[in-house]
Amino acid sequence: MLHQFADRFSTTSAQSELRRAQALAADDEEFSDAAWGSEAGLGSLAKGVPSFSVPAVSDPSAFLRLHTDDHADPSCRIKIKHGTTTLAFRYQGGVIVAVDSRATAGSYVASGTVKKVIEINPYLLGTMAGGAADCQYWETYLGIHCRLHELRNRERISVSAASKYLSNLVYSYKGMGLSMGTMICGWDKTGPAVFYVDSDGTRLKGDLFSVGSGSTHAYGVLDQGYHWDLTDAEAQELGRRSIYAAGHRDAFSGNTCNLYHIKEDGWHFIGNYDISKMHYEGPGNVPGAPGHGYGYDIRVEGRSSADVAPVAA
Amino acid sequence: METSFGITGKGYVIIAADTTSARSIIKMKTDEDKIKTLSPHLLMAYSGEPGDTVQFAEFVERNIRLYQIRNLYALRPAAAAAWIRRALANSLRSRKPYGVNLLVGGYDTASTDPHLYWIDYFGAMTEVPFAAHGYGAYFALSLLDRYHDPEASLEEGLAVLRRCIDEVAKRLVIDPGKYKVKVVDKDGVREVEL
Amino acid sequence: MARRYDSRTTIFSPEGKLYQVEYAMEAISHAGTVLGLLAKDGVVLAAEKKVTGKLLDLSATKEGGYGGSGEKIFLLSSNVIGGLAGLTADANSLVNFARTAAQQHLLAYDEEIPVELLAQRLCDMKQGYTQFGGLRPFGVSLLYAGYDPHYQFQLYRSDPSGNYSGWKATCIGANNGTAQSLLKQEYKDDIEVKDAIGLALRTMSKTMDSTTLGSEKLEFAVLTLDPVTKQPKAKIYRPAEIDALLEKEGLAKKDDDTEMKP
Repeated sequence: MLHQFADRFSTTSAQSELRRAQALAADDEEFSDAAWGSEAGLGSLAKGVPSFSVPAVSDPSAFLRLHTDDHADPSCRIKIKHGTTTLAFRYQGGVIVAVDSRATAGSYVASGTVKKVIEINPYLLGTMAGGAADCQYWETYLGIHCRLHELRNRERISVSAASKYLSNLVYSYKGMGLSMGTMICGWDKTGPAVFYVDSDGTRLKGDLFSVGSGSTHAYGVLDQGYHWDLTDAEAQELGRRSIYAAGHRDAFSGNTCNLYHIKEDGWHFIGNYDISKMHYEGPGNVPGAPGHGYGYDIRVEGRSSADVAPVAA
Repeated sequence: METSFGITGKGYVIIAADTTSARSIIKMKTDEDKIKTLSPHLLMAYSGEPGDTVQFAEFVERNIRLYQIRNLYALRPAAAAAWIRRALANSLRSRKPYGVNLLVGGYDTASTDPHLYWIDYFGAMTEVPFAAHGYGAYFALSLLDRYHDPEASLEEGLAVLRRCIDEVAKRLVIDPGKYKVKVVDKDGVREVEL
Repeated sequence: MARRYDSRTTIFSPEGKLYQVEYAMEAISHAGTVLGLLAKDGVVLAAEKKVTGKLLDLSATKEGGYGGSGEKIFLLSSNVIGGLAGLTADANSLVNFARTAAQQHLLAYDEEIPVELLAQRLCDMKQGYTQFGGLRPFGVSLLYAGYDPHYQFQLYRSDPSGNYSGWKATCIGANNGTAQSLLKQEYKDDIEVKDAIGLALRTMSKTMDSTTLGSEKLEFAVLTLDPVTKQPKAKIYRPAEIDALLEKEGLAKKDDDTEMKP
């Protein structure tokens, strides 16, 4: 008894601090149901500390690996959707976000019309690479918290804070099988902002990122065409053309490209572009379009590396 | 290919770390600061498992700050290093260990001498005159055995660091790229350009 | 009236008092005097021993251990000695807590606990007993004489409410008011340990009820820096050393009024 008491008020032992924190968290339970009326299936949202139940097996990640690893066992029933190209960059005129729309499960193209940009709120976009369900669920969840932040603090959440919330959240599930590679993009008091967050728990602030199996192909075009002073038309064209490049070269990316532009007044959907069409005809009559197809053969049509043949004497 | 160096000299410690954030074969970022200023006279370079690094560094940063707020003075480098080491050692036997390697460098204002600690994610710690983590260690340690001088001026210390960085750039398959370099001495912490 | 608010430490009286805490402080003002002096090159503690008599077995204090009779002055950590006034049983429990806290700090930080932090650890605990129900506060005041590299030599005092403060010279226990006004007159800011020892003993001899001073009524300790290692060194005097010290300071009692002489 005395031990417990002394422990409870001592600040010396780390264990006692932990116990106190746990006791505080447990005290919170008293209020949850009655005070909030209904939790509407979003019980864990009411509290500051996010929580999420894991499957009732002893090792959730091993369970997941056993039933989903389609590389080791192509005949397994659950195939997680992988394979993507997404990109986002910051420049003088805001943020450009561009993604492809192909969903693959193993070698099977499950869908060609997937929305890989998640509209968190009118000022925040999240991109989706890795596990589609993981990204969709947690970025929607993030959206709920961003709205709660607005209601509680009477101002919009910063991109930095929103991305930190997501990174802390996925970090708490590290090693349990989450698979996400995402860019949280938006415009806040500091101007345009892009953060890269992945399921390792990495969070990076930067000007330019690309994520997914096709990201190397996208980087190839993006890095060479990028500079801070791009015009809006040039920037949109660069995003489109980079996704085309990845859609063309990466088997797991393709179908169409979705393009978004974030400015001071929030995000705008610019358009949906068919990759094949871009290859042969270009993106159509849009700002920045080159007026011809992006495909190599189309771009260099009529040009030859051969020396001019000597005129027969 | 993460690499970090720590070098002590006459009244100072230099801490240097590369600035690359890589994910598989891709450099995601080339200007990441991997050296935290924990208190007015304490620096910590961190490297290792993505995610763990920043989480652990921020955990340490907040606890060292808390101690300073509670007691008005900051922990001395030896005490801070001992606390950090214990945090890693406890973590090693937990369900989810932090995979983070550290160099802790500080200037002890009470005893007026610099201290450098090499700590790995197993919780091993040793006080050393110079240290390195990552592939850079394989090239730099022998070099430092040859060229380190405990009484070197800051200019001489930075010149030896330059040797380490150049050697790694020359011989390591993948060049770690640019480095961030910070110095701590009696006047506190500052960043320096090489 | 006060009765209603007596029994619980955690309830304020209508005048805004916590009676149990005040009673605890009252109990201490009847306990043996403990006096502390901060000098330039060390700290001095002197304490009045209450449990005396020729039948008391003090053989353990003559050899072994770290000195002292184990009633008032204790080594809390290599760098801190504590002087305790109040209920002896409570004091033993606090000494145990303090030693544990000091070792926990050593374990976590690989350094001796800073003196003020040790005082804070005890005060956090003492404060807890003035707020949380069903328990009695500790009937103990403490002096902490210590050294750390942050603030060098220090002297702190804490009471049963959990308050603590730093001092150049202070006193707890019986007649502490008299002792403190004496110290106020005599204390010099740049006093050295050798002079502080004399001042401490002289002040004790004036405040203690008994007319003579001897090792059976006195505990004494000094904390200084070891000249070689520059590390703090606590010395808690053994009875024979105390008598020798009193002799040196000219405060020893005459042989004929020693009750223990055959």
